[in-house]
Amino acid sequence: MAGKAEVTVITYRGIFQEVEEALGMYSEGYRDQSALVVLDKGEVKELGVEDGQPVILENGFGKVVVTAKLSEDPHPGVAFMPSSPWSAQLASGEVGEDGILDLKRFRAQVSKANEAVTTIEEIGERIRAA
Amino acid sequence: MAFCTGCSLLCDDIEVDFQGGKIKKTMNLCRKGHAHYDSLGVDRLAPAVDGSSVGIDEAVSAAAEVLAGAENVLLFGWGNSTLAAQGAGVKLAKKLGCVIDDPSSYSQGLITEKILAGDFPTCTFDDVRNFADVSIYWGDDPSSSHPRHMSRFSYFPRGEKRQRGYEEDREAIVIDVRKSPTAQIAADGFFKILPGGDGEFMEALMATLGGKIPKVEDKKKMLNLGTKLRKAKFGVIFTGPGLAHSLGGDLAGFASLVGRLNELTRFSVIPSLSDYNSRGFNQTLFDKTGHVNGVSFKNGVDHGPEFGIAKYLDACDAVMVVGSDPAAVLPGTLAKKLAKVPMVAVNSFKNLTTDIAKVTVPTAVAGLEVGGSALRADGLRVEFDAFVESDYLPDVEVVERMMEAV
Repeated sequence: MAGKAEVTVITYRGIFQEVEEALGMYSEGYRDQSALVVLDKGEVKELGVEDGQPVILENGFGKVVVTAKLSEDPHPGVAFMPSSPWSAQLASGEVGEDGILDLKRFRAQVSKANEAVTTIEEIGERIRAA
Repeated sequence: MAFCTGCSLLCDDIEVDFQGGKIKKTMNLCRKGHAHYDSLGVDRLAPAVDGSSVGIDEAVSAAAEVLAGAENVLLFGWGNSTLAAQGAGVKLAKKLGCVIDDPSSYSQGLITEKILAGDFPTCTFDDVRNFADVSIYWGDDPSSSHPRHMSRFSYFPRGEKRQRGYEEDREAIVIDVRKSPTAQIAADGFFKILPGGDGEFMEALMATLGGKIPKVEDKKKMLNLGTKLRKAKFGVIFTGPGLAHSLGGDLAGFASLVGRLNELTRFSVIPSLSDYNSRGFNQTLFDKTGHVNGVSFKNGVDHGPEFGIAKYLDACDAVMVVGSDPAAVLPGTLAKKLAKVPMVAVNSFKNLTTDIAKVTVPTAVAGLEVGGSALRADGLRVEFDAFVESDYLPDVEVVERMMEAV
């Protein structure tokens, strides 16, 4: 059954993502390590999302298509995503009184995608088109 | 012996056989450092103005014009710059009467400032290796971000008073929202918290240290943690971005915990900083102004969150980004604001920020193509030499030439 699930996305840095970033952020390797979200397997079963398939992540700040990785360890209501230009599109631009941005945590809706994973070139175009 | 500027550990025990732009053989280089060396031939930035290739002199002149023609300039980045370039950057900010800032203004700056001000006790990584018996990684995953952190300094090595290493002499405690690679190493020392649950965990830990029963699900595990911390001879808390973003600007609970731990025993704080010389910029600016980021030289020295990039993007009319990629890191809404401001990007490599810059100025990669100095994440100053020849200008020369031109 197609639909949407609301999750809290937590961002993190991974060693292989750091490696691919050093080797060129316009590479497929960097996209593969960055444009992904780790979802609770049991939670997204109803959405028809399968491991390795593209999913849409969206909220009031933006929308990206990334690859779903389904984890066996349960973490209901929480998704994990590498900190990257993809996650940044969904982070709140609201600045706290202290100047600190909440880049590590945001709410988003996840749903099955029928489109390709967002490329970094597309993200660049969105930024430039402002 | 070679040197690695791939992260803020600044490993100085690297052996590399580097031929034809590729590593043939290496000792002590981690996976990330290996990629750092391999990056020398990838996506290098070229001098350009409005997308057209120009010579380096023309690019520097055009950059100076952008800065000199604006009233509210922001100089941002600096974590991947040498100490000399950072010092020149502060002088340039003074000369322009403008704002200078780095990514710590929206991340770990408050913690670093408290360390530099002496409010949080700190120590060197070498102290950690030789004496620390408890390492707490809080919102921090060095196995991913600083791959040799645990093997060189904080968990696995044998030190002067820690000859039995991780087998018997050291405890690793990880407090995080996810079972990170570091948490997997810590095994039973992993405390999984809810997103944003750092403050609650601190309260429970404070209660435990005060002899009270903590209000947590697994009371026994928390009480055991309290016992371990009380019995520690020398503990260290490595603060990661997870902790900084969770606490926001409210460090009162963390300060109380650090204070309490130091009443009971000895505990230091070391921030886990990503860029190789983030600490250098914070120290350089702190020495000149008493602040680690977000400083305006428009009317003397002013400091505040309004001078951090996240807020100052609303006020500035020109930006120079040095060795950083805010367009890739900042929320999309702020990256779009950045794209509207005339920008100079000084960097060794192409990235989303250089793509939207009006002027791009390439520099040599410090530690590989040019020598210099930097501060490790623990504040230790290190000097390094060039490893390969390069035609690119050192970052300090680019900044100094702009200073002359404006």
